[in-house]
Amino acid sequence: MAAIPVPTVMSRRKARFQSSPFRHLDPFLIIPVLIMNMLSLLMIYSSTRGKSTLRGEAAYGDPFYYVKRQAMFVFLGLIIMAVTILVDYRRLRDWALGIYLLTVAMLAFVLTPLGSSVNGSQARFALGPFAIQPSEFAKFSVILMAAAYAAVHRGDIDVRRVLVVLGIATVPLGLVMLQPDLGTALVIGTIIIAILGVSGVKARHLAVLALIGVTGAVVAVNVGALEQYQVDRLTAFLDQNGDMQKSTYNLEQSKTAIGNGGLTGQGLFKGTQTSLGHVPEQHTDFIFTAVGEELGFVGASMLLALFGMIVWRSWRTASVSNDFFGALLCVGVVAMFSFQVFENIGMTMGIMPITGIPLPFMSYGGSSAFVSFACVGLVVNVSMRRFS
Amino acid sequence: MNQTRLRLSIIGVVVITVFSAMFARLWYLQIAQGSEYVAQAQSNSYRTVQEPPLRGRILDAKGRVLADSRIANVITIDRGLEPGQRKIVVGRLAELLAVPSKTLEARLADQRASLYASVPVAIDVPIEALTFVSEHSDDFPGVNAEPMAIRRYPNAALAAHLLGYTGEINAVELEAQPASAKYGLGEDIGKEGIEFTYESMLRGTPGKEEFQVDASGNVIRSVRRVAPKVGHDVQLTIDLDIQSVAEAALEEGMASARTRRDITRADKFINLKAGAGSVVVIDVTDGSVVALASNPTFDPNEFINGIPTVRWKALNDPVNNYPLLNRAIAGQYAPASTFKLVTAVAGLRSGMITANSTVEDTGKYKISDQTFTNSNSEPFGRISLERAIAVSSDVYFYTIGGSLWSKQRRNESGGDVIQETARLFGFGRATGIALPNEAAGRVPDAAWKQRIHEARPDAFPYPDWLPGDNVQLAVGQGDALATPLQIAMAYQALASGGRLSTPRLASSVLNSKGRITQTNPGVDAGRVPVPARDTMLAGFAGVVRSSAGTAYGAFALYPQQPPAVGGKTGTAQVGGKQNTSLFVGFSPIQNPRYVVAVVVEEGGYGAETAAPIARAIFEALNGLPVGPVSSLAYAGGN
Repeated sequence: MAAIPVPTVMSRRKARFQSSPFRHLDPFLIIPVLIMNMLSLLMIYSSTRGKSTLRGEAAYGDPFYYVKRQAMFVFLGLIIMAVTILVDYRRLRDWALGIYLLTVAMLAFVLTPLGSSVNGSQARFALGPFAIQPSEFAKFSVILMAAAYAAVHRGDIDVRRVLVVLGIATVPLGLVMLQPDLGTALVIGTIIIAILGVSGVKARHLAVLALIGVTGAVVAVNVGALEQYQVDRLTAFLDQNGDMQKSTYNLEQSKTAIGNGGLTGQGLFKGTQTSLGHVPEQHTDFIFTAVGEELGFVGASMLLALFGMIVWRSWRTASVSNDFFGALLCVGVVAMFSFQVFENIGMTMGIMPITGIPLPFMSYGGSSAFVSFACVGLVVNVSMRRFS
Repeated sequence: MNQTRLRLSIIGVVVITVFSAMFARLWYLQIAQGSEYVAQAQSNSYRTVQEPPLRGRILDAKGRVLADSRIANVITIDRGLEPGQRKIVVGRLAELLAVPSKTLEARLADQRASLYASVPVAIDVPIEALTFVSEHSDDFPGVNAEPMAIRRYPNAALAAHLLGYTGEINAVELEAQPASAKYGLGEDIGKEGIEFTYESMLRGTPGKEEFQVDASGNVIRSVRRVAPKVGHDVQLTIDLDIQSVAEAALEEGMASARTRRDITRADKFINLKAGAGSVVVIDVTDGSVVALASNPTFDPNEFINGIPTVRWKALNDPVNNYPLLNRAIAGQYAPASTFKLVTAVAGLRSGMITANSTVEDTGKYKISDQTFTNSNSEPFGRISLERAIAVSSDVYFYTIGGSLWSKQRRNESGGDVIQETARLFGFGRATGIALPNEAAGRVPDAAWKQRIHEARPDAFPYPDWLPGDNVQLAVGQGDALATPLQIAMAYQALASGGRLSTPRLASSVLNSKGRITQTNPGVDAGRVPVPARDTMLAGFAGVVRSSAGTAYGAFALYPQQPPAVGGKTGTAQVGGKQNTSLFVGFSPIQNPRYVVAVVVEEGGYGAETAAPIARAIFEALNGLPVGPVSSLAYAGGN
């Protein structure tokens, strides 16, 4: 009598793994994210420890104040990423409208007295010692909503549907502009252009859109739809040898810090521009200057490479995705990360105008971290379920 | 699907482009331009604070201190204090230091204090007060207690014009200094006198401390400190004792003159004004200046930490005869009869006179249609050069001047020998003494007269050099001008046997350890002809020793008889003013060692005011007891 092979516990587990999507979990997406977050904590420490000696600073007396908070954000972010990985992205399609409407509602409410204003921007809900910035979540919602809509109407995107997709972006974009938060508005715009481009819109429609976009931007600058300081900041990088006004001052300090790094950097915690607080907003929007100064060309290039890795894996996931919705999600994420990295690092180096955009996984801040983790989670999700 | 792939590829290309751009820019900033940004980062985070050095001393010929610096405890208040707070702080300080708050406020409001540095409001603060301020710094915002170097002139007004003073550097001076000197705002600089001329020696080398600062300029730590180097000492040729005697004698002689009547004014009873005067004492051997005095004078200590405005105004008020003016080098006077030295040499050189030839002095001299007379038209009869000098005959010298004018008239060469000789003796140009603002004097000639006529025809209607001009010049009147120092140096040239020296004021420079780093030997300015020197020396001796000599009476009380002094009185007529009283002399008569020149403005006759002052100085120079300088009641004769 032939013995019937009895599946062992091991083999059963193995078998389950064989069919599990986690078999296809992409380490090239997860590992760069983990490395960057560790680097982020070091850099936030380096650029904020000096604040502990300044009376009136929130961090007064505690050099680890910002690091501790960011570590908590990262921990929560990892949980958020886990959740976005676990839930099958195809079910998210059904929730897209709900999530989108919720975000739009938050964006609307933040403009009411419920929201609070920091640095002249009505952008956050204060929750005790923390704050939530709905504009960050708007990026995620727009990706989800636009991808969902465009995937449903694949191959049949006529002018009316182009307008619907644009409308999906325009409502949150307009609300974000009212805060005002030009940087996030530009990110949303970039996301929608990328998704539209890949969704099968006719080339001539795209051309017309591009024309309207450029004209609109020129008119906005000249007609005064933008505040003067926004125009100044946008144009400061075009004339970097101009007088040291506030807008060029930031840029000068930022470039000096990066340039001071040289090939191998001043060494961790040893950058003079960083430790002496010469770069304004260094732990948030200008965190790249700390990397540039302390870790030099070698360290900064590696950080660029890590971003490149994430973008590349996301792009690749878009190409190999087994459904169009997943592909469009990945395209949105590629657009979001690429633009944010380029805009943020570009502004610190003086090749892009200065707008307040955080560097994903590096800048201090909870909302930004959560959304970045969620977006990577989305791509991992699409990636590992490409065979199911 | 193919179209989707194409569009995805486009996105891929865009992304690659964007990342390449960032990479390239990063390379440009960190590698290509790296060193530039490193330099900028350095200047961004380091600040250098300059520490002024302790200023060197000024010493007299025997090493006695004329100027030095001391460290004083000073309380300063920041200028930037907000008014309300300032009022409170000043109130507390006034209470603590027991001075009226008005005084402190006045110091704070003083516009001459630096806008950048904090203002020193109280100097030499007791140590208890200093400790209190340091320990209660929260109650005294903007108040600092710090040591500060303060310039000190221990002999007060003595040699004030010579030493000058220091003060906070101003914008013009800052501009004038080379950048390498690195003067800081608020730093002291020599403004006048030796303090000015020897600034580079006295100042020392500033130290500096480099700090690392944060973005708001707060000091993080001191990176390195280079201690300032003490300035060098400058040793002068001045003898403090002689300088004291000279100043006292000048003061006394002027005071005495003011008690006497101006005898040239027969119509009215007016006292001599004698408001200003000066003394020069020269060592004949090498032209060293032994004493240099000017009256009225001032106390350079008043300038320390800014002179109060009311005092500054007083020092520049004509009513007070401009005490800051150093008349010994900047006062310009008609040299009067003291100039006869030059005319005599000129006469001898041109062959017009010899040591023994004589002139008939009738008391009057006529040329063209003009008549010139001796003082009181006194006739001296047939006189030789020696006697002409001793009795101060004008006619003798008028004759030389007139004859030379005739020579010029005939276009013969040598007609301007007086002017030429005067220039050889150093008149008409600055002597080059190491003091600022020296005047050049004037030797008038035909070309000069032509020039001023062309410049201002309305004020100077006559372009021609008239006989009167040359005749007046022969007795040091008319348009001739000389400084007391120039007069002294001309006699130094005679006394030395023809070697005209450049006045030597600083003999050496010493480093802080007392080692000599620079010596200034005597420098000759040129050679002068001294024909018939013995005859002239005898003539100048006669001025003092002969009973007919003009200064015989002034030296009657000289402790050593006959006095080993020769000299010449001078009485210069000045339009609208009383006569200038002059005396220049030397001692001993053979191989003279010292020359003394004295000039007193509105002092009357040379013999009555200047000569007695010189007598006291000669007494001191020759180690004799110095008698009182009461000037003489004088009847006349210049």
